[in-house]
Amino acid sequence: MADPFSYPETADDIRVGPDREPATSTPRWVKVFGIIALLLVLLFVVLILTGGHDPGRHTPSSDAGGLPAPSSVRVHGAQQR
Amino acid sequence: MTMTPRLRKFALIAHVTASVGWLGAVVVFLALSVVGLTSRDARLVTAVYLAMEPAGWFALVPLSFASLLTGLVQSLGTTWGLFRHYWILTKLVINVFASVILLMYMQTLGFLARVAAEVPLSSGDLSGLRSPSPVIHSGLGMLLLLVATTLSVYKPRGMTPYGWRKQHDERRERHEQRRVLLP
Repeated sequence: MADPFSYPETADDIRVGPDREPATSTPRWVKVFGIIALLLVLLFVVLILTGGHDPGRHTPSSDAGGLPAPSSVRVHGAQQR
Repeated sequence: MTMTPRLRKFALIAHVTASVGWLGAVVVFLALSVVGLTSRDARLVTAVYLAMEPAGWFALVPLSFASLLTGLVQSLGTTWGLFRHYWILTKLVINVFASVILLMYMQTLGFLARVAAEVPLSSGDLSGLRSPSPVIHSGLGMLLLLVATTLSVYKPRGMTPYGWRKQHDERRERHEQRRVLLP
């Protein structure tokens, strides 16, 4: 069995290669993933701030010809007022 | 703490089963969402939106947390560690992000189920009930889980600074031990 400390299934032990960046630097795929994650978080924050994640926003409102909120939601809303 | 090989295998089976099960459940959810959005059968559309909430609570949510928990056990109980490799760290972020979004989205599924419960089947007008939101959410969820699965198989190179430090420390310790043992 391979030495578990050598992490044989990755290329982490290869410090520098002819066409590789040094292994200690952040790999390119991590940078790409980081940028995508940042964009996703930004999108998420924008959606939260603009109310895009209210449950009612996912169905057309009754004013727009869609179904009204269920009676349980209406009762709950009326109690809150 | 490092697990014994037998325990490690068992933990790996549990992690793969939970993670692949989660992916499978999301694929079924995507299929249901598409049916809910496109079917002309009012009973089927209503049934789809009614079924989504219990399917979420009894399949998606438990599988997501089982995947997270078994993943933590798997990484902390082996030499891979949780913060040593970027691919493991990325999987952790994907898992936590998807689980949080899923928990938040259960509110929407509850809303859709309540609306579906109150739609008179005879009305035939389902335009207000149909929502592209479950298709978008389950589609993106599936994409994220596919990325996590791909990372697990390819294990792309890249150690975090913490991982390098730990590896360096461990190698130095082993070297010191060898020097003490040798005459």
